[in-house]
Amino acid sequence: MDSMRIVPARGSKAATTQDTSNSFGLHDTLQYGPRSLAAEVVKTSNVKDRLENWEATQDNLKLQMHRQAFGLHMPMRILMERKLVSQNPHMPALPQSNLHLDILMGRDETLDCPDFMVPVSEMRQPLDIHADMEKKLRM
Amino acid sequence: METIDIARLKSGEVNLGTSIMAVQFDGGVVVGADSRTTTGSYIANRVTDKLTHVHDRIYCCRSGSAADTQAIADIVHYYLQIHTQTTGSAPSVHTAATMFQKLCYDNKDALSAGIIVAGWDKEVGPSVYNIPLGGGLFRQPWAIGGSGSTYVYGYCDATYKEGWGRDETVEFVKNTLALAMSRDGSSGGVIRMCVITEDKVERLFIPGDQLPKFWQGKEVLGTDIKKDADLAAAVAMAVDA
Repeated sequence: MDSMRIVPARGSKAATTQDTSNSFGLHDTLQYGPRSLAAEVVKTSNVKDRLENWEATQDNLKLQMHRQAFGLHMPMRILMERKLVSQNPHMPALPQSNLHLDILMGRDETLDCPDFMVPVSEMRQPLDIHADMEKKLRM
Repeated sequence: METIDIARLKSGEVNLGTSIMAVQFDGGVVVGADSRTTTGSYIANRVTDKLTHVHDRIYCCRSGSAADTQAIADIVHYYLQIHTQTTGSAPSVHTAATMFQKLCYDNKDALSAGIIVAGWDKEVGPSVYNIPLGGGLFRQPWAIGGSGSTYVYGYCDATYKEGWGRDETVEFVKNTLALAMSRDGSSGGVIRMCVITEDKVERLFIPGDQLPKFWQGKEVLGTDIKKDADLAAAVAMAVDA
């Protein structure tokens, strides 16, 4: 928010992950079966949290600095541009690339792991097109 | 039974192995620091430059974790460059110090950084800001920091006078740092100083063999041997068998 955090803060001690949530945010029993306490209460790993939130924290620090130097309009415009560019009219078919967003985020001239390493689960054909469309439209 | 935790004893040396100082005088400020960086008891760098440029007439003295203070100084340097581009003039020392303070406070759980910001700007002239560990901001005529500073608070309180010129202030900083370096195990090496005025920044360097010398200590035991020898011969030990 207003904070000038340089690195991600350490997460709270007990956390629940909602991988199995439906569109209401509750556990989707129809799809995944009854709730399991063991799956819900997860001790967060410090390293994992730090790495996952790293890029977002650095980006937030930069935006915060721009806010202080230029005024609220600067981060607002930057975020607006990113949002405009992220609106993808296509169906969630497999090959998804957003060159315009890459340019805005400053990663158009770099190669990193996500660019050439695709997890096996994403290589398969999307069997559940309905779930994908649901997710996309509720954005 | 109490056991001494060696790891904790050494942790002070890793964290605040420094003596840094900044003093304001009529035409500018003098910032000074020792040059030792330690990891535990190993001196990683004996000629470190702890006086970091963040803008043309604004310098900061870094104490605490070297990585933390370098990261913060880089961010403030970046921010002040943007600030200069948009406003078209040099930032004030207060702006730089406030930026340091924001970073130190918002990240206080993750940082170990004590910073002294000093410089010259055209609104106020010379100023010195002290930002100790928690992230508070204090403007003072002179400020000392780092582990070595604890040994010289008395000297500074007794010696400092207002209205000094450039040379007296440089003398004051030099003597203070030399005293701190001689008593603190985590401070040493050479003395680096910067004199920041409206016109220029002048760097001063005092090598280790030219440090001002004070009372170096004197061995008392074993000196007047002549006197004690006569005494020892005269006394016969009476022993109960």
